[in-house]
Amino acid sequence: MSGSIERNLSALAEAVDHSQASGLVHGLDPRAKILVTLLFVIAVTSFGKYEVSRLMPFALYPAVLTGLSGVSPGRVLKRTLIAAPFVLFVGLFNPLFDRTPLLRIGPLVLTGGWMSFFSIIARSFLAVSAAVLLVLTTRFDLLCLGLERMGIPRVFVVQLQFLWRYLVLLAGEAQRMVRAHTLRSWGNRSGVSLKTFASLAGSLLLRTLDRAGRVYGAMKARGFDGEIRMLRPLSFSLSRDGLFLLAWGGYFLVCRFVNLPELLSGAVGR
Amino acid sequence: MSHHYLDVRDLRYAYPDGTEALKGVSFRLEHGEACALVGANGAGKSTMMLALTGLILPSGGTVDVGGTVLSKKTAADVRRRIGFVFQDSEDQLFMPTVFDDVAFGPLNQGLSEAEVRNRVSVALSEAGAEHLADRPTHRLSGGEKRSVAIATVLAMLPDILILDEPGSGLDPYGRRLLVGMLRNFRHTRLIATHDLDLVLDVCPRTIVLHEGKVAADGPTADIFRRADLLERCRLEVPFRMQNGLSK
Repeated sequence: MSGSIERNLSALAEAVDHSQASGLVHGLDPRAKILVTLLFVIAVTSFGKYEVSRLMPFALYPAVLTGLSGVSPGRVLKRTLIAAPFVLFVGLFNPLFDRTPLLRIGPLVLTGGWMSFFSIIARSFLAVSAAVLLVLTTRFDLLCLGLERMGIPRVFVVQLQFLWRYLVLLAGEAQRMVRAHTLRSWGNRSGVSLKTFASLAGSLLLRTLDRAGRVYGAMKARGFDGEIRMLRPLSFSLSRDGLFLLAWGGYFLVCRFVNLPELLSGAVGR
Repeated sequence: MSHHYLDVRDLRYAYPDGTEALKGVSFRLEHGEACALVGANGAGKSTMMLALTGLILPSGGTVDVGGTVLSKKTAADVRRRIGFVFQDSEDQLFMPTVFDDVAFGPLNQGLSEAEVRNRVSVALSEAGAEHLADRPTHRLSGGEKRSVAIATVLAMLPDILILDEPGSGLDPYGRRLLVGMLRNFRHTRLIATHDLDLVLDVCPRTIVLHEGKVAADGPTADIFRRADLLERCRLEVPFRMQNGLSK
């Protein structure tokens, strides 16, 4: 358990390092990136449930963004695969229930169930990779600021900010508790028992509440009145961010409403 | 500028469970004075600092900060004039980057952008932390966190600084920097600490708290020579002076 906390912490630190790097994609206004990601997810999820081939052109977006941002493809892939188990469960029973034959490739018959299963996997893979790229290429504070400027209620944005700030601390505290527990439980290979886990989690909650009280005190001591103010002008440049938004938005529209794979195969066939 | 005084009269506080943490504490700090607040664990230091900043409201007695008597109504005004540096810097640094954190207070005071930027850069340089401005707060070292925490308070231009264990957890170099910084400040300073050597370096005056009361108040050099008093209050003669005595 302590090992997995450590791994997650270092993954988090890595994400922070990446989001702080500078590059073509990193320098874009967060609002442009958020909007493009949103459009991408909407476009990808709006297809019919048996659609697989028409999703393929959308893979261009994560591929190009990975290339431009300089984030290693392996890292994007790894983060994207974290969602895989959930997706597998969502689609798991489709092949069992939906047995209408849809496609015949030689002796192989693909049923509607399998098609929708692949469709779910392709969609989620695309959508999650776009989200992963957004987070890996945008500093979290700028991401929050972008959300706020786009009209997301401040309460939610502040929640996100504090979650981000104190996640590392909370994880560190949990890690130290688990270590202390491990050091005093020799030969107990099954890890933390349910009973111990309950008291560990309980005292973690109490510590967190204490900390929350102190942080609130520190905020009040510096004149906090319910509103968090920040000096961080975002500049939306039309030639850079506008172009990014227009180009990808246009591409997604085309992919959504024009059957590119069919057109291409038609052209090749002729 | 003689109004930067802190006058505490018969301060009392009892926690909701009935524990009396402060049983009538009185003292007065004059403008620019550096005073140490020492005492064993549970002597009432932390409670007193919370009460001075109005983060808890005393159950009796008065706190007069430069002519303003602390009450629920005046708490916000008093906090503007008192800068409180928490023991755990993690509690003090809650914004995503160092710049945002130092700018938090000035922005709450409703200053213009240029003024805020100026305050932030002055505060950071006074705390020796200019180079950290763009760093995320959770990636700083312990010493850097302490400097930035002090800068967040300096940026509010307080008249009075209250510091809770400012030297704890610092390496010798960080501690030396801190001592130099604290000595140079011209604010009225109240420093709660167990580090009596730090007190010797920074504070000409010392108040000893014992079981919620003032056990002694006077020149640091005199108080630290009274081994019996220190013993009774569960403290001890600072290391440096012990050497002096044995010579």
